[in-house]
Order: sequence, then structure tokens, then C-alpha cells
Amino acid sequence: MTITSHDNVPTTVLDGAVKDYSRDKVYVLTAIFLAVLTIIEVFTYAAPDFPVWADELLIPVLMILMAVKFFTIIYVFMHLKFDKPILTRIFYMGLVLAVLVYIAMLSTFRIWFDGQHG
Amino acid sequence: MAETLTSRPTLAEADAHQAHAHIDADTNTGISNTKLGMWLFLASECLLFGGLITTYLLYKRPLEGPTPDEIFDIPFTSTSSFVLLMSSLTMVLAVSAIERGEHQRMRVWIGATAALGATFIAGQIYEFTVFVREGLGFTTSRFSSAFYTLTGFHGIHVTIGIIMLVSLVLLSLRGKIPEHKAETVEIVGLYWHFVDVVWVVIFAVVYLIPS
Repeated sequence: MTITSHDNVPTTVLDGAVKDYSRDKVYVLTAIFLAVLTIIEVFTYAAPDFPVWADELLIPVLMILMAVKFFTIIYVFMHLKFDKPILTRIFYMGLVLAVLVYIAMLSTFRIWFDGQHG
Repeated sequence: MAETLTSRPTLAEADAHQAHAHIDADTNTGISNTKLGMWLFLASECLLFGGLITTYLLYKRPLEGPTPDEIFDIPFTSTSSFVLLMSSLTMVLAVSAIERGEHQRMRVWIGATAALGATFIAGQIYEFTVFVREGLGFTTSRFSSAFYTLTGFHGIHVTIGIIMLVSLVLLSLRGKIPEHKAETVEIVGLYWHFVDVVWVVIFAVVYLIPS
């Protein structure tokens, strides 16, 4: 069932395959979604007293917005959602390793305790 | 014999059942070595930028010199971030165009991506110039060193990306990127999107979270 790059596929068939649907609309909508999230991020700076992210909620809100943008780009624009699962595992291996190593490093420097690091 | 031929799906049939067309490479994983290598490289880049971001977080409170809150121009950096974000859209449209065999359109989108990347870099150079004028040199404080190293490394990555994009356009003009080599554009696209993803993190962690 697997089609390899050595298969001789007529150009007409290939043309028909890609003309049946367009992903460009999905990409444009994704970009609009990302732009809206960026506007919200900037709004946290322009209106720091807005109830949704006032006081201690600012950092969690920014982290959530950042994470949504991050995974939207890697899943849609980088095609991770549509590609082979091994690529997702490879990328997550690096990402998770980095997050764990640097959380350990930040903890070593007691960054979570205000005024005690550095 | 006839059944064997008809039971094998054409690329069109296989593609119609997938959200995105990916022709299997003739390897054990079905992924080309180049693409696998790029994803491994990007995974290792997570560690590089993770280290730089962590260092910045540790040193973001300067003992001397201007503080981040005093010196950052958030509206300006937001505009730069938006420009880089839109370059990801033009990049993915370039990949989409070459998969359809639309070479001219692919070159236009790649040119747009390179132009947006160059605009971002111009903005970063302007920003650095303003910071230096305001007294924030590379060795002014531990904050300034960490900041310039992090954002500078990112800027170098964007610049390398622009060079790759311009090379792609030149190769395409010479007819060296036919449809069956569309993966070349996709791999450069992966690098470019990763650079954008890193900036998404830097923009939130460095610029928007108050020190």
C-alpha cells in the first residue's frame, strides 16, 4: 500500500490529486488565528490591569498563549500533525529534554523563590 | 495481474485520504534522510535556545545599567514579531505552491518570506543600535550580555534562513527544483518555521513578562 518516490505516477494523476482540495485556506486561517493571539499578548502589555490577566495571572496567561502559538505552528505550518509519528517523537524528545534540563537548572539557582537567585 | 494493478492506490487516491501529501521515501522509516536529519537538528536546537533562554531568565535583573522594563520598546518589537509570524504564512504557501508544481508562485512566496525576514533583521539591528545609544552595551551588565547573546543568536538563525531562501529562489530560476524535489523547499520551510517558533517563545519570555 505504500507509495514510494520510485513509483512512476503520471503527472496528470498528481495534478488531479492536488487540485481536489486546497490547504492554503487552512494556512491563512491559521495565520489569522496566530495574529489574534499575538494581539492579545500585546494587549497584556497595553492593559496590564485587565481582569483576565491582572496580578498573578499575567504570566500563566502569557505562557498559555505562547504554548498555543508554539504548537499551532509546529502542528500546522510544520506539518507535524500530518507527517509520520516518528518525527513528532524526535522533536518532543529534544523539547522535553530541554524543558526538564532547564527546569532543573532554574531550580538549582532557586529562581522560583523571589530575590534568592543570581 | 489486473487486480494487482488496480488494488495499488495511485498517489491521487492516497493523497485524497491524507490531510497533507507526503510521498514515502525509500528508507526504513519512509522519511528521507534529509528530512529526518532536519528534525533531529531542530530537536537539538531546542537545547541550544533552551540554554540561552534559561541564562537570560537567571540574569534578567541587572545589577547595573538600564533594566528591561526601562529599555524595551514593546510596540516596536510587537510589529517585528508580527512580521516574522507572517513570514511563516508566506513560507508555508511557498511549500504548498511547489507541491502543486507552481514554480513562479513558489518563488514569489519565498521572495516575500525572505523580504519579511530581512525586515525583521533590520528591525533587530535598529533595536540594538537604540539600546547601545541608551547605554546598554554587550558588557554593560549580565542582563545585557544574556539578552544580546539570546536575541543575537536568533538573529543569526534568521539571517542563515534568508540566505537559504535566496539560494532556493536562485536554484529554482535555474530549474533545479522540480516537483519531485519539492521536499527541499519543505526542509528549508521547517527551519524557517522553527526560527519563528523560537521567536514566539523569546517574545513572550523576554519582552512581555515583566522583570
